[in-house]
Amino acid sequence: MAGAYYDIDDILAAQERVPCVLQVDLDGLGSAGSGGASKVHRNARWALPLWMADGLNEEDFVAMEAPPVFSRRAARMYAASPESIQLRAVSQHFYQLGLQLGDMVPDVPHVLRSMYTQRVQRIARIAQQGHNVETLDFVQSLDRTEAELLRLCQRAQGAIAAWQQGRAYALRRAPAIQ
Amino acid sequence: MATSEAQQEGFTMPELEYLAQCEDVTIVPLHRMERLELVRGAVGPFRPPQKTQVPLWLAVMLKRANRCRIVAPAWLGADHLRALCREEDAPDALFTRLPPHYLEIAHALLAVAEDDLADAQAVRRLLQDLRETRQTKTREGLKLLNSLQLQMDNLSAAEINEIRPLFGRSFDMLRRLDALAATAADRAHRGSQLGPADDSQYADDADDDDFAYAR
Repeated sequence: MAGAYYDIDDILAAQERVPCVLQVDLDGLGSAGSGGASKVHRNARWALPLWMADGLNEEDFVAMEAPPVFSRRAARMYAASPESIQLRAVSQHFYQLGLQLGDMVPDVPHVLRSMYTQRVQRIARIAQQGHNVETLDFVQSLDRTEAELLRLCQRAQGAIAAWQQGRAYALRRAPAIQ
Repeated sequence: MATSEAQQEGFTMPELEYLAQCEDVTIVPLHRMERLELVRGAVGPFRPPQKTQVPLWLAVMLKRANRCRIVAPAWLGADHLRALCREEDAPDALFTRLPPHYLEIAHALLAVAEDDLADAQAVRRLLQDLRETRQTKTREGLKLLNSLQLQMDNLSAAEINEIRPLFGRSFDMLRRLDALAATAADRAHRGSQLGPADDSQYADDADDDDFAYAR
């Protein structure tokens, strides 16, 4: 698991749950898992947040599995129509999550890469031409990384026009001397 | 953080305009004036009707005081711009050659020295056309996005600034995904019984690749 220590999106992405298989018997921790029993047996399945799962995985308490959003079936879906996937519904931190556990599933980096390249071009188009009813679906499907990118691009695109119309200056006449 | 978000992502337009003020333009002084010792070097002496090179900010100041006439740069002529527009519009054409601060210089000259430009209205319109064509082309250029480089020659400072966040962010993401793909492939190669690879190690490898390419 690699992440930037201070990156808030990285931290939030580590909250996403991943399926784990318990490797040991645990006494008195039934309330933490799915069952209500006081003892949890090995091979029970738990969905743990990534930050916890990663640590426990290293210590061999659990075996971490790839979450369903990175399964082969999902990957085929992403490859088929990258622009119509509702990424926000899949995960708010889709790419960050992919970056953190992508090396668990060999194909994921390639799938993410081609998906990202295609979606970024659509984002660039929207930033330049402004968005309308047709692009609404796409804009709403962006995950946080992409939404942030779109926002920055729109701001940068507007900068030249705003400056040409004289709206770009930080200094203004104070109301008192107007 | 003390800087605004717009400043963190690159230059703001007023900053670029400020930088453009140091570009030289040619003027014809209307009054005699001695040499001016400026921090960047001396300009003048001004002997009408001898042409002199001065920085843009000084030209604008003198023009406002009605002490000079600004000689429009060759690229700001309507005919030249028309030719550039045609060239720019041609299929598969690269970006045409323009000064790196052409938008800012044109903006300043059109604001204060409209009377010194032949056919200022046409120039204004042609500049707008040119910019729109170039903008479309920039977008086409982004289709070639990869994690190593993006080449668009003759893009001006303001135009680079316009795509900076998009390019910077996506470049970063692609680079990280590539590094990840490399580790994943590496691990598959070595067999899955090995532990996770050292993170810092693959980050270094990726940097080396970029560097080698840049050289």
